[in-house]
Amino acid sequence: MIRFEAVSRRFGQGRPAVDRVTLEVPAGQIGVLLGESGSGKSTLLRMANRLVEPDAGRVLVAGRDIAGQPVEELRRGIGYVIQSVGLFPHWTVARNIATVPRLLGWEASRIAARVDALLRLVNLPPEEFRDRLPAELSGGQAQRIGLARALAADPPLLLMDEPFSALDPGTRRDLQAELRRIHAETGKTILFVTHDVEEALVLADRLAVLDHGRLLAEGVPRDLLADGAGPEIRRLFGESGLALHRLATRAAAALATPGDAASLPALPEGATQKDALLLMLEQGARAVAVAPDALLRWDDLVRAR
Amino acid sequence: MRRGLAPLFFNLSAFVAALAVAPYTAPLWRWLFPDLQRPLWDSRSWFALLAEHLALALGAALLAGLIGIGAGVLATRGAGQRLRPLFDALFALAQAVPPIAVIALALPLLGFGAAPTLLALVLYAVLPVLRAAIAGLEAVPPAVLDAARGTGMGRLRILAEVELPLALPVIGAGLRVALVLAIATTAVGAVAGAQCLGTPIVTGLANGNAAWVLQGAIFTAWLALIADRGLRWALAG
Ligand SMILES: Nc1ncnc2c1ncn2[C@@H]1O[C@H](COP(=O)(O)OP(=O)(O)O)[C@@H](O)[C@H]1O
Ligand SMILES: [Mg+2]
Repeated sequence: MIRFEAVSRRFGQGRPAVDRVTLEVPAGQIGVLLGESGSGKSTLLRMANRLVEPDAGRVLVAGRDIAGQPVEELRRGIGYVIQSVGLFPHWTVARNIATVPRLLGWEASRIAARVDALLRLVNLPPEEFRDRLPAELSGGQAQRIGLARALAADPPLLLMDEPFSALDPGTRRDLQAELRRIHAETGKTILFVTHDVEEALVLADRLAVLDHGRLLAEGVPRDLLADGAGPEIRRLFGESGLALHRLATRAAAALATPGDAASLPALPEGATQKDALLLMLEQGARAVAVAPDALLRWDDLVRAR
Repeated sequence: MRRGLAPLFFNLSAFVAALAVAPYTAPLWRWLFPDLQRPLWDSRSWFALLAEHLALALGAALLAGLIGIGAGVLATRGAGQRLRPLFDALFALAQAVPPIAVIALALPLLGFGAAPTLLALVLYAVLPVLRAAIAGLEAVPPAVLDAARGTGMGRLRILAEVELPLALPVIGAGLRVALVLAIATTAVGAVAGAQCLGTPIVTGLANGNAAWVLQGAIFTAWLALIADRGLRWALAG
């Protein structure tokens, strides 16, 4: 769906901000760009809607080189969400969400219906929020509106640059879960930038690690964190936390064994092995229920590495 | 109502009342200037002069607004940023030249009347608008501009729908300053033959009528004083 081919970009002198990166996010997946601050994540992401032009290489969206496409048209077809949200402070929530549909010349009634549907999608009651100004929103609510604005014209591709990084941890986890749900409902392709390892593992279908502008590793999270992970990866994820992060990349169901689990603490559907471990610690249990007739034992969990 | 606005309003009311009463003060001026034949200014109604005065000032403020905002927009865009020190120096110089000197220099080119007056007033009042426009446009949060570009808004649309509306409060303060500067200075236009509150002064000087000079001076100074108070109010806002 989106593909970077050997793209580079240098600002002024010194080392390039992005250095010969080749990367693809397949249609319908969440690709997460992970890296420390200054590693070139934003620069790479902003090449996808031509807020930054590459010095070399090319970017393909839906199979077409974007370099030749009219830039405003391109951007109207790509959702863009940023850390500081950037809602237009003088417009109501509804008008903010309607930005791209208005640019596309939709009819007023269609826009109004779309605005309400999007407010419901991001879990904000339309009657209550439609006419508010951005100053009357909490940080979490503002970013929900930012997400709704990006989704307004139903673009197949979303670019998200550390959208949850400025939020407090509880709100951040809520929004991560909601993004997963919205992704499942809408099937968008998402390129998501973060410096937060846990966030990356919660969201990523595919994970790309950037370091000083270079692509360090790319693949399914489970493979990236497998035993052979190189020293840079180990450093980024933290030597001591690596084992825990690795558990976060694996499904609890993969280690389940048949048995009567009715009396055990139960894991939610789709839980990871990290969730299972935390639940055991929390409940002081040596096994947890993955399904009514399947359980995951402590011994299996620690032996599985 | 903001503080300081009430005394300003009272002062303005007294000024208007004085203009209304002026035509009935002939005995006073005859007593003060017994040697003059027509000591009371009656060639033209004071309200007409005030209206012309304000129209000139308003026109000048509007022109200064257009020029100042235009230059401010240019100076905050890409390559135009290099023009900023030039604009600032140019407009500061324009303000430093006394309006009366501008009129004297412009008379041979523009002739008598409103044109040289407007030129002098615009040059005098454009600096605060430029500075306000730059300050207002610079204060637009970068994230808002990033989002505007990212949603596919064009440059003109971003300027018209995002930047200027967000900069408006600051630009508005600059425009108010320009307006009061113009009001306080318009009287010099009488030298160029423009009708305004300065007209009785110039006419009086030409005809050796000190009473007219005094009457024109009183109202000109009074209005300038009100404008000065207004300026302080505008700056405080
Ligand atoms: N517009 C720019 N002008 C100059 N340098 C920039 C610009 N954008 C990014 N950089 C530099 O490029 C490097 C990568 O920046 P960025 O892509 O923002 O990293 P990240 O998003 O991973 O924190 C940094 O060293 C940054 O200072
Ligand atoms: Mg960044």
